[in-house]
Amino acid sequence: MDYEIRIEGHLDPRWEGWFDGMTLSARAGETLISGPVSDQAALHGLLARLRDLGLPLLSVTRVAPEQSA
Amino acid sequence: MPVALVETKLFRPRPRAGLVPRPRLAALLDAEGSRLTLVSAPAGFGKTTTVAAWLSTAAAADPDRRIAWVSLDADDGRPEAFWTYVLTALDRVAPGTGSAALAMHWAGQPVEAVVATVLNELSVLPDDVTLVLDDYHAAEGPAIQAGLALLVERLPPQLRLVIITRADPALPLARLRARGELTEVRAGDLRFTGEETTAYLSEVTGLELAAADVAALGARTEGWIASLQLAALSLRGREDVSAFIAGFAGDDRYIVDYLVEEVLDQQPAQVRDFLVGTAILDRLTGSLCDAVTESAGGARMLETLERRNLFVVPLDDRRRWYRYHHLFADVLRTHLVAEPQGPVAGLHRRASEWYAAEGESALAVRHALAAGDVERAAELAELAMPALGRERREAVIRQWAQELPEEVVANRPVLAIGLVGGLMSSNDFGDVERRLVDIERQLALPEGELVVADPAELPRIPAALEMYRSALALNAGDPVTAIRRADRALEMAVDDDPLVRAAAPALSGLASWALGDLNAAHASYLVAIEGLHRADRIADVLGCSLALADMELTLGRLGDGRDTLERGLDLAERHRPDGGGVVRGTADMLVALSRCAWHRNDLAASAELLSRSEDLGEDAGLAQNPYRWRVAMARLRAAAGDLATALELLDEAERVYVGDYSPPVHPVHATRARVLVASGDLDGAQQWASEHGLRADDQLSYLREYEHVTLARLLLAQETPAALEDARGLLDRLLRAAEDGDRTGSLIEILALQAAAGRDVAALDRALSLAEPDGWVRVFLGAGPALVPVLQRFVRERPDRAFARRVLEAATGTGTPSAAPARGQHQLVDPLSEREIDVLRLLASELDGPDIARHLVVSLNTVRTHTKHIYAKLGVNNRRAAVSRGHQLGVLSAGRWADQGHHLGHHML
Repeated sequence: MDYEIRIEGHLDPRWEGWFDGMTLSARAGETLISGPVSDQAALHGLLARLRDLGLPLLSVTRVAPEQSA
Repeated sequence: MPVALVETKLFRPRPRAGLVPRPRLAALLDAEGSRLTLVSAPAGFGKTTTVAAWLSTAAAADPDRRIAWVSLDADDGRPEAFWTYVLTALDRVAPGTGSAALAMHWAGQPVEAVVATVLNELSVLPDDVTLVLDDYHAAEGPAIQAGLALLVERLPPQLRLVIITRADPALPLARLRARGELTEVRAGDLRFTGEETTAYLSEVTGLELAAADVAALGARTEGWIASLQLAALSLRGREDVSAFIAGFAGDDRYIVDYLVEEVLDQQPAQVRDFLVGTAILDRLTGSLCDAVTESAGGARMLETLERRNLFVVPLDDRRRWYRYHHLFADVLRTHLVAEPQGPVAGLHRRASEWYAAEGESALAVRHALAAGDVERAAELAELAMPALGRERREAVIRQWAQELPEEVVANRPVLAIGLVGGLMSSNDFGDVERRLVDIERQLALPEGELVVADPAELPRIPAALEMYRSALALNAGDPVTAIRRADRALEMAVDDDPLVRAAAPALSGLASWALGDLNAAHASYLVAIEGLHRADRIADVLGCSLALADMELTLGRLGDGRDTLERGLDLAERHRPDGGGVVRGTADMLVALSRCAWHRNDLAASAELLSRSEDLGEDAGLAQNPYRWRVAMARLRAAAGDLATALELLDEAERVYVGDYSPPVHPVHATRARVLVASGDLDGAQQWASEHGLRADDQLSYLREYEHVTLARLLLAQETPAALEDARGLLDRLLRAAEDGDRTGSLIEILALQAAAGRDVAALDRALSLAEPDGWVRVFLGAGPALVPVLQRFVRERPDRAFARRVLEAATGTGTPSAAPARGQHQLVDPLSEREIDVLRLLASELDGPDIARHLVVSLNTVRTHTKHIYAKLGVNNRRAAVSRGHQLGVLSAGRWADQGHHLGHHML
């Protein structure tokens, strides 16, 4: 599954390693963390790590994965 | 103890000097009437500091204040660890309150029973206790949550529970809030106000900052102390304060990231390298840091960091162990992650080596895995397993079974069998068969393809495979296969194999016992005991000796039973630990010897042995001792005619009962039924029989022999022609079964009952002949008053049989009166008052503190005061011990019951 998670604040791309294969893109006071998440347990692990950084969580959305070419 | 305690987790953090006082938070926390205090906010809000400071002030004002602290981490998500820490923490500040619950927990009792036991103690505790669970979010999960919810629901007024967490726990908070029983301190409360920010900044930076600057910092950090702290550190020694603040306020990068970089930039290279290098460590100490960073001076560096308020938190009060603030460590680690793999792996590898040298195999393996050194992790694990087995820390091995990847286990047979051992010890059988099959596959491979770190273990594997299969069979309810495989395992065992040589015969013995073949079980247990003795597992020798004596008694060999127990006692004596104390299991030997004395009708000796056992304290007993002690005491009370107390003791025994591997062949409920029969409560005894589905025409099995003999006693007592006929039929069948199984002990009892049922002198003759060599006397008294005329006739006809006369004298109470246990409080320097005895009686029940108060129509505080005095006078510190001592002194036996029981003579049990 692919997820898009929006948090308030700007996280440096260096933190991508922290989020294990997700992509970070910053815009207008928010950071978008997007990419594949293997299962619900992985998702909750990701959310817990975000929680531990103290950054306000804005939204968590599941998106349809890109159709493979 | 199955969990090795990390002491630093029980250490109450002391607040640093120079903290900004925040009285509004102290006022929040001091709120009256609350049962649960919840401090819930994301990382870096100063939760721990706030609570630590609040408690420090409270402790200073009231040095007797009992404060228990547990710093939780992810490993505590397992109930074994969680409750061990919580109960230990409670027991350390309120000695005696947690020990019974801990014993139950380690014996595998369900959480509900464990929590109920500790609550039972706490609810009558004279003093107040505060329990803090820090970082609760790390441990929370379904496994923990159920038990904690129970604790919260029945929280006694004496216990103040404080939960510090980053996420609201799954507890009924709304309900507590509505009832005004919840005190909350949340992020909104913890944010530093403008005033507090000003005070904080001037304290830390030593600067007099302009109001505008303070406002800017406050706005940017939003009172979040983690960022405020970093900002303050960045400001220290900086020339251009306003420029920094302007730049900082205008930047929208993740604030922690930004500030940590600022602070790191300011540090000398040596410090920076140290911080980045040690970021991988969960806990830090000087020599570990030196090893990881390949330099020196780590201890001094840590002290410096602490002094300069740079991110480290001390974990003890000896400046030995520290950890990093979570957020800081997170940021540091991103610096590491961003770099190429090489350096990080090296850091973990060196940490692993350090831990391995310290003998901390669990952490050594963890770091090796983090370094990607799977092979090294496997090697470390393999080499560490024997020691872990000896220390009974199989939980670590079980963890490895999950963490070590399959490919590394697939060609390491010694590792693989060790992992199986860990799983079996934790009763985790699911995956075992598959693993055993894989080990067999490995053993068929050419030796060159296998990796073995501990070659001494290799020849032991085939026997171990058989042994584990035996255990699986026993667990699956197939004792015949279990015996076959266990015996084969023993045959295959090499000379030097302490595990198989002790465990295989024990398995075989258990299986034989379950099948009712006591002679085979007995023989197997003798071999097991020898194996355990050679392996120096003294407490296990005592445990098996207890089982062996049980079997000997059933086989009618009372003298042998006594010898086995005396040998056990002697062994325990010779292995006393240095520094006082006794081997665990010593108390059990004494209780079992007490039972032997009781069988011989030497009640004075029986009482004395029981008293000696009780004096040794709770640490001297194995898990089942509290229950066995109470049954033994019940028998003595019944013999003295005090049936009401006997019944109470048996109820208590059932409440504290803990099962073990041996078959439950003397269930307390049946013993209780015997007391009911002896007291004339035949309706009650009939109810017992119905509840347990016992009928005279049941198919008989050894496992229910005790219950069926009890039923026979009931039928005899009923005295109707139908009941007598049923009794005779049942007894005939029981007789044949006992003869087939060689169970002479049971045989004597059955014959005595037959003699009473049919006025059968021949049966009595045979019973007496069997009983005389070892002096079984009480068994005849259990046959009831109907036996007396038969005895009288026998004694008339056979004056040469002195033993018969002795039994008759015991049955009619005309012989030398066996000294009843010391009654009254002569042994107490300061005797209990009437009221205190009333309270003590209620302490023996299941009622909690408030219920006891209601019962006595007094306040809970009054009960607590009484409890305090009772504990002091009896020289104990917990409820259960007070009750035991009370029984011991005969204080709990009411005089009025003794009179009532007396005319029933000594026809008890």
